[in-house]
Amino acid sequence: MALLEIKNLHAEIDGKEILKGIDLTVNAGEVHAIMGPNGSGKSTLCHVLGGRDGYEVTQGSITFDGHDLLEMETEERAVAGMLLGFQHPVEIPGVKNIYLLKEALNAKREAQGLDEIDTFTFMKQVRELVASMDMDDAFLHRGVNAGFSGGEKKRNEILQMLLLEPKLALLDETDSGLDIDALKVVSEGINRMRGEERGIILVTHYQRLLNYVEPDFVHVLYKGKIIKSGDKTLAHRLEAEGYQEILEEAS
Amino acid sequence: MRQELPDWLKTAMPETAAAPDAIARTARNQVESLGLPGLRDEEWRWTNLRAIQRGRFNAPSGVGADIEPSIRLPLDNPLRLRFIDGVFQGVPNEVPEGLTLSSLADADEETRQAAFSPTPAPSVENPNDALVTLNTAMASEGVVIDVAANANIERPIVIEWLDGATESVMSHPRVLIRLGQSAAATVIEHIETVGEQPAWRNSVIVSTIAANAALTHIALGLDGASRLATERSFASLERDARYHSYNIQLAGQMIRREYDIQVGGSGAHTDLIGLMMPRGKQVLDTHTRITHAAADTTSNEHYRTIADDAGRGIFKGRILIEEDAQRIQAYQSSNNLILSDDAEIDAKPELEIYADDVSCSHGATIGRLDQEALFYLRSRGLGLDEARGLLIAGFAQEVIDEIPLVELRDWLTERVEQRLGDRGTAGNETA
Repeated sequence: MALLEIKNLHAEIDGKEILKGIDLTVNAGEVHAIMGPNGSGKSTLCHVLGGRDGYEVTQGSITFDGHDLLEMETEERAVAGMLLGFQHPVEIPGVKNIYLLKEALNAKREAQGLDEIDTFTFMKQVRELVASMDMDDAFLHRGVNAGFSGGEKKRNEILQMLLLEPKLALLDETDSGLDIDALKVVSEGINRMRGEERGIILVTHYQRLLNYVEPDFVHVLYKGKIIKSGDKTLAHRLEAEGYQEILEEAS
Repeated sequence: MRQELPDWLKTAMPETAAAPDAIARTARNQVESLGLPGLRDEEWRWTNLRAIQRGRFNAPSGVGADIEPSIRLPLDNPLRLRFIDGVFQGVPNEVPEGLTLSSLADADEETRQAAFSPTPAPSVENPNDALVTLNTAMASEGVVIDVAANANIERPIVIEWLDGATESVMSHPRVLIRLGQSAAATVIEHIETVGEQPAWRNSVIVSTIAANAALTHIALGLDGASRLATERSFASLERDARYHSYNIQLAGQMIRREYDIQVGGSGAHTDLIGLMMPRGKQVLDTHTRITHAAADTTSNEHYRTIADDAGRGIFKGRILIEEDAQRIQAYQSSNNLILSDDAEIDAKPELEIYADDVSCSHGATIGRLDQEALFYLRSRGLGLDEARGLLIAGFAQEVIDEIPLVELRDWLTERVEQRLGDRGTAGNETA
C-alpha cells in the first residue's frame, strides 16, 4: 500500500481552480521532489495536504497511510504522521519552542496510545537534536520563531521533524532563501530523516537543494498539473535548460 | 453631566478623617457639588459607575478581622499590610532596617499632609478627581510606607486588599509611599474578594520617589467577580528616580484603575506595564497619564487586553510632554485581543507634546487570534482548543515576562493558563 496516494486532485481557492488534476504516489522509503515555476500550484498542493482552511477540493482523493486524508482535521493529519514544513514558519512570541516541541510530541504519543514522555528523556533528546542542527540551547526558551532569521526558522522546522519522526515529511520550499551553510545543515537534517519507513516530499523552486538531498523521483508541476516525472536527471535538465524546454516537450 | 452624589454616600461621612483638618473640610465641602463622574464625562465614556450609584454601600463595621486571603502569592518572606474591607489590620512586628511602616491614622500632621497632597494635584475640573476628593473626605484608614535614603528593602511589601468580608461595604483607604534618595522597594497590591458580597473600594496611593530611588509597584487584581473598585495611583519622580508599574487585572465586575505619573526630574524613568483579561460581563479599565515635566526623561508603556465573553477592556494612555522637557523618549503600545463577538475593547492613546526635541511613539492594535499561527500549531498536532489556548496564553505571557520577580512570573503564568483552561465554562464565575 502506498504511503500517499493522490488521485485526480482538483482544488480551488475563492472559486479559482489552482490544482487541475494531480496524480502522485509516494511510497515509504522514497524521496520525491516537486519542482515548478511560481504560480504552478506548489504551495496550494502543500496547503491542501496540510488541511488549511480556504481551499476547496472539488474532485479527486487523497489517501494517506490508509486514511481518507480529506476527512481529517489538520491536527489529525499531524498525529497520524504527516508533517508539513512551512515555507514561511510563523512567529509566535510568548509560546516557547520547548513547550511547543513537548506538546507536539505528546499529542502524537497520545494518538499512539503512549504515555506522555518523561521530562528527562525529552530534554536529552531535544538537546541532542538542537546540537545536531547547529543551534543554541537558548533557542528552546525563546518564543516560537520569534525574531529568528530565515535560516533559523527553517532549521527549526527540520528540528521539529527530527523530533516528531513523521511517516511523511512534506517540505514546502524549505530551501528558499537559505545561505549555503544553513542549506547544508538543513540538508543534513533531511538526509538523516531518510529511511525505509518514511516518505519525503521536497517542494522546491531551486535545483540547488537536490545537490545535497538526492531525490528518487522528480516531478514538474505546471499550471496545476504534473506534466513530467522522472529521476534526478530531470532536475539537472531543468537547471541546465530551464522550464521552457520541458514544457514544450510535455505539450 | 456628573451624577449627583447618592444620599447614602452623603450621610456616610466618617466622624474622624485621616486627612489634616483643613484638607478634609475642603474636600467635604466639594464632594457634594462634584458628585460622581457620569457617562457624559469624556473620561467615563466607556465605563460607568451605575453599579456604585445604585448600590447602597456602608462604611466598614470592622468585623471579620480574622479573615485570611484564600490566594497565596509565592513570595519570599513578604511584609504584609492587610486591609479587610478597607480597615487596616496593623503593621508587622518586625521590619527590616531602613523601613518604617505606620498606620496613617497615627501619623504626624506633616505625613498626613503629604498623603493628601499628591503630585500632580487633582483639580475640581477633572471628573476623575471627584473620586480622589471623595477619598480625601472619607478616608479614615491608611498606611504609610517610608523607605530611608540608601535603603534597599528586599522583602516585598504586600498591601492586601481583602474586600467584601461584610455585606455592601465601601472603603476609601489612602496609602503613602515615600522613598528617600537612592532607596529601593517593591510594593505589591494583592487584591482579592473574600466574600460573595458586593464591595466597593475607592483607594488612593500616593508615592513620592526621591532622587535615584526606585519603586516597583505591582497590582494584582486576582479575584472577585462582584468586586467594584476605583483605584488611583499617583507617583512623582525626582531626578534619576524610577517607577516600575505592573498592573495585572484578571477579574472584577467593574475596575477602574488610574495612574498619574509625574516624571519630574531629569534622568527619571517610568515603565507602565499592564494586562487586563475581562470575561463574563466584567469591565476592566485602566487610564494612565504620564507627565514628562523635565528634560532627559523616559517612559515605556506596554498594555495588553484579552476580552472574552461579553467582557469589556478599556485602556486610555495619555502622555504629556511639557514645553521645556526636551530630549524625551516616550513609547507606548497597546495590543488587544478579542475572543468573542460580544466582547469589546476600547483603546485610546493620547499624546500632547509641547517640546520639540522628543522621540515619542504609540501604537494600538485590536484583533482576533492569528489564523496563520493557529494553523501552524495545529499542523504540529495540537488540537484547536489547545492551539487557541496556547496562543492566548502566549499573548498574555509577553506582559507577564516583564515582571521582575521570577517566582511571581511563573505563578501568574500558571494562573492565566488555569483561567484559560476553564474558558467557556466559567462565564461570570470568579477567576
